[in-house]
Amino acid sequence: MAYIKGFRRRRGFIKKIRLQIGLGNRVFKLAIIGSLTFFVLFFLSIIVSMACYTDLQRLISALVSDEIIFAIKLSVITATVATVFCVIIAVPAAYAMSRLKFRGKDTVDTILDLPIVMPPISLGAALLVFFNTPVGVAIESNLTRFVFEQPGLVLAQFTVISALAIRLMKATFDGISPRYEDVARTLGYTKLQAFFKVTLPLARNGLVAAIILAWARAIGEYGASVTLAGATRMKTETLPIAIFLSLATANVEEAVAVFLILISIAIAVLLLMRKVAGRPPMI
Amino acid sequence: MRGKLLAAMLCVIIVGLALVWTSMQAPQQQRTVAAFCGAASKPVLEEATEIFEKNTGVRVELNLGGSGTMLSQMKMAKTGDLYIPGSHDYMIRAVSDGVVYPETIKTFAYLIPAIIVQKGNPKNIKSLEDLAKPGIKVGIGDPESVCVGEYAVDILNHTNLLKEVEENIVVHAASCDATAALITMGSVDAIIGWSVFESWNPDKAEAVLINPESIPKISCIPGAISTYSKNRADAEKFLNFLGSSEGRKIFEKYGYITTLEDAKKYAPSAETPKF
Repeated sequence: MAYIKGFRRRRGFIKKIRLQIGLGNRVFKLAIIGSLTFFVLFFLSIIVSMACYTDLQRLISALVSDEIIFAIKLSVITATVATVFCVIIAVPAAYAMSRLKFRGKDTVDTILDLPIVMPPISLGAALLVFFNTPVGVAIESNLTRFVFEQPGLVLAQFTVISALAIRLMKATFDGISPRYEDVARTLGYTKLQAFFKVTLPLARNGLVAAIILAWARAIGEYGASVTLAGATRMKTETLPIAIFLSLATANVEEAVAVFLILISIAIAVLLLMRKVAGRPPMI
Repeated sequence: MRGKLLAAMLCVIIVGLALVWTSMQAPQQQRTVAAFCGAASKPVLEEATEIFEKNTGVRVELNLGGSGTMLSQMKMAKTGDLYIPGSHDYMIRAVSDGVVYPETIKTFAYLIPAIIVQKGNPKNIKSLEDLAKPGIKVGIGDPESVCVGEYAVDILNHTNLLKEVEENIVVHAASCDATAALITMGSVDAIIGWSVFESWNPDKAEAVLINPESIPKISCIPGAISTYSKNRADAEKFLNFLGSSEGRKIFEKYGYITTLEDAKKYAPSAETPKF
């Protein structure tokens, strides 16, 4: 009798534990969904309140104006070119940081964090001053003009996004066990082949994320770009610079219209990039 | 176990500090006036607000930036007690946008356009015509958004030099400050700015005065009370202080011209700012 009673009590006890664990799990799920919802709603409400500041007519007149069409083309082209250069540099650099051991690695790591910490305006000012030095002047006379010219936009964006891309790619490579590469080498691959045939496909997710982040940051870049390349209309005016120029002339509605155009383009391109990236490879 | 406890304590302390900091942002007891000003007047206003606070105990919070950007901020946030732009065009704009009370407009200083070159004038620029010399890099403010840029184009049009000088214009700066910075950073050989730019950076910049007959109009630094003001009395007090002899002395100390007659000496046939 006591045995059966004890059994029932224990079953009740186990049921209580299961309920508590289930409840705990549900609370956890609620908490993480709650955080995500909070941020998404917060950001969407900002955009919606901005959208209410302007009207459709102004949006359309902004869309068809020569100035904005030029700015759209310039923004997309410079962001893409900057991202291409960035990826070319960031992927090998991040691989080196991830795989190699060398003296002063911590220092290099910290140096790579600096461009992220520095305000973009001061990065732009630093570049401006650099091109005034003998080295900078030599580069400008032999390679191409950067100050107040369109290549300056690409350089400014590149400077801002590269550190981010390197950080992200390093974290990606850190997450891929070197043993896969070692096994590939034992099977006859050179280091280069192992990198391209084994490591890079495994790093695909991280690479796509890094490209998306770099491009998104580049197209929204303002501080370094305006300082190095100037805000000259129909020459170095990107969409963020156009927004600033509208605000600087107290044309708030126009600024908001350009802002919405920028957001729409960014959404379209980012969705496209995600579609093209496809499914990640499974191990 | 020790490590986890320590980490948990650290998290609690950091979160606690963040909450305390946020609650400390509660409104102060002191009377304040929020002024949105063109960066052109920064050195003067910083000193003036210090003296004003010492005399009256009222704190003037300065928001500095491009005159247009400041106007945008006031319009978007529907806030602010004073608007002190760097040129009178923006004051006219503020009046038509309903941001200021037109009857409260006061003029504090006059701005004379001049050619600003690097200290020592290494490229030997003596006049507007010299700006068209081959190889000279010229910078102006963006003509559509920066007061000093619009005036530059005006002067060049007035003297029929726009076509020649235009070839040498390499950049449109996005604000008054940025235009002055073009010289101090050594990015261009000459800019068309206000003569006071020389006083801002006496060791890096030098003003080359333009032939007085070539200047079609001069600008001024006005101030007015905003329609969004919640503290009209103190705002008015500060405006009166800027226009008083004490305030005028501060302007003059930083190289500004405070009376119309003095301004006319530099540009006798110029159109003067009217509201």
